[in-house]
Amino acid sequence: MKSRFLFSHKYKPLGWFLFLIGLLFGIFLMINDFDYFNLEIKVFPLIGESGVFSVNQSLEWSTNNITDELVAIFIIIGGLLVSFSKTKDEDEYISKIRMESLIWATYANYGVLILAILLVFDVSFFSVLIYNMFTVLLFFIVRFHYVLYKSKKVIEDE
Amino acid sequence: MNNTIKVERAIHNITQAKLAEMIGVSRQTINAMELNKYVPSTVLALKISKIFKKNVNEIFFLEKED
Repeated sequence: MKSRFLFSHKYKPLGWFLFLIGLLFGIFLMINDFDYFNLEIKVFPLIGESGVFSVNQSLEWSTNNITDELVAIFIIIGGLLVSFSKTKDEDEYISKIRMESLIWATYANYGVLILAILLVFDVSFFSVLIYNMFTVLLFFIVRFHYVLYKSKKVIEDE
Repeated sequence: MNNTIKVERAIHNITQAKLAEMIGVSRQTINAMELNKYVPSTVLALKISKIFKKNVNEIFFLEKED
């Protein structure tokens, strides 16, 4: 079946690798307050900052520990590859499951975000925003693979 | 929509896995169609009718609520 916007099945293992490594280090960094590995390199900020946390000018070279940036990119690229690589036997029914899971994940993601907006405040809300960058992908991956697993299991039980 | 895929499979003695392989879909798809959980595309319906050597509307039927 021709399906637009999907990656070939062969990228799925790479996706899982990046996604899980990213999640592992991400959780590790969250626990350790982002201060564990030191990968200071020169960066070129598009938008400058002059706050309590850091001071740098926009469009001027400065330095930054890029561990968290790397981890975020690993999770996003890995998550996209896991989500949108074709399954081994991708067909129209699996595409339907895929689409329904994407809608479900979007609702779940914003449902959780609305709850957090109402119930979480100040600095804690900043952590919610960090998690929220990845939860659409996470919810989609969990729901899509769960429904696939369930429909495979029905066949085996017959 | 209702269909007689399961009956036709029994008549031709074809397993779900075999039928899936013949028309190039996953086994879940055949199973979901037989359970009336999934309405196939026209292309898929035509492929199935070709395997069973029948017209599409001899295998797939509209129901009252359709």
